[in-house]
Amino acid sequence: MSITTDAFDYEACLHACANQSKEALRELYLEESGRLMGVVFNIVKDRATAEDLIHDVFLRIWQKAHTFDASRGNSRSWIYSIARHLALDFIRFSKRQVTQSEVIEDIPDARDGDWCERINSTHWGSTSNNRVQDCIMELEPERRSCIYHAYVNGYSQSEISDLLGAPLGSVKSWIKRSLLSLRECLG
Amino acid sequence: MKTSDHESPYELAGQYVLGTLPEAERRAVIERLKTDQELAELVAYWEERLVPLCDVVDPMPLPDSVWARISNSAQAEALAAAHDKQPQLPLLKTWWHNLPLWRGLTAAGFATALLLGVALSGQPQQPSYLVVLATPEGHSPGWVVQASNHQTLTLKALGTYEVPQGKSLEFWTKADDWSAPVSLGLVKPGQTLSINVDKLPPLEQNQLFEITLEDEAGSPIGKPTGPIEYIGRAIPI
Repeated sequence: MSITTDAFDYEACLHACANQSKEALRELYLEESGRLMGVVFNIVKDRATAEDLIHDVFLRIWQKAHTFDASRGNSRSWIYSIARHLALDFIRFSKRQVTQSEVIEDIPDARDGDWCERINSTHWGSTSNNRVQDCIMELEPERRSCIYHAYVNGYSQSEISDLLGAPLGSVKSWIKRSLLSLRECLG
Repeated sequence: MKTSDHESPYELAGQYVLGTLPEAERRAVIERLKTDQELAELVAYWEERLVPLCDVVDPMPLPDSVWARISNSAQAEALAAAHDKQPQLPLLKTWWHNLPLWRGLTAAGFATALLLGVALSGQPQQPSYLVVLATPEGHSPGWVVQASNHQTLTLKALGTYEVPQGKSLEFWTKADDWSAPVSLGLVKPGQTLSINVDKLPPLEQNQLFEITLEDEAGSPIGKPTGPIEYIGRAIPI
């Protein structure tokens, strides 16, 4: 999908960041900040907050690059995990309740699997996730939709329940079962 | 923590990575991850496998100001780290000193005036330390810190300051031989605050105080991340 992404050596970049190379941090920013901004914005749904969080993401990378352990995971997913968890912490721990009513109208239903076609496991530098697209397509439509709205949009279980017009108990059980199925399928 | 809703640690880790845990459970997992290697591995399992879902989202442009802030913060971190490695050379390369703190003599002049004022006022309980916090350019004093004993600091605002929406001012201190600054909490413009500092080592000469602009809830990492608005050092009186 992306030639530049294939060429970018994330692990070497993190190593250089750990050795205080500001150029490496800058290269990583040029390479990934736009995509990370998309991921973070989708969760927090506020541009200024997302920009603040991108600052925090890169500062965290700068501070923690020396703790990255290639034997425990892939460098690029490490970077995205930092971004997602900072965004999730913000929406779960922020005292300010974000009103998402107007946003909810715009979001896709996601029961169909069209969105899955955009998943491209080949440029994530890992073989352990090359089945994720197939495994998500194998989920029943409601369950697939729950995974999408939780992971991509950062919605809570009750927000997903409102969104899909389904009882909270059903949403909780769909998510549990999705995780079980995914674990079985992904191995 | 309540674990009955999550029969397996795989599921708990999966819900954490999905983001579906409610606040209390999410906080509990974050706490456990500091020591629980098994849970950390399960979290890594899900992070690695689900991360291609990020492809679904369109990239978004960022203004240049974001990189400028990152660059400043990273520089500050690097200098602080260099300082931590060389505590025996305290005054040369710390990031505090690389900022143009004491360029202006205005604040220093003001400090002297205030010091004389305090000394001449003949109060029975004179403060033993005084700090004038001025803007980094040193042009205008904004706050005064007084410490008359080891338990309490008093922070007084001298002027006004408009805090941008969604931001807060956070008050920090750092002695020369501390590895990192310590937060003394959020402050509001115009506010006079008494801060209990009996858990900190006794105030010392030249100890640094500063006020930075942070997120509304304060710095997310427990260290200053935003720009320095006011800064100054303790003078014994």
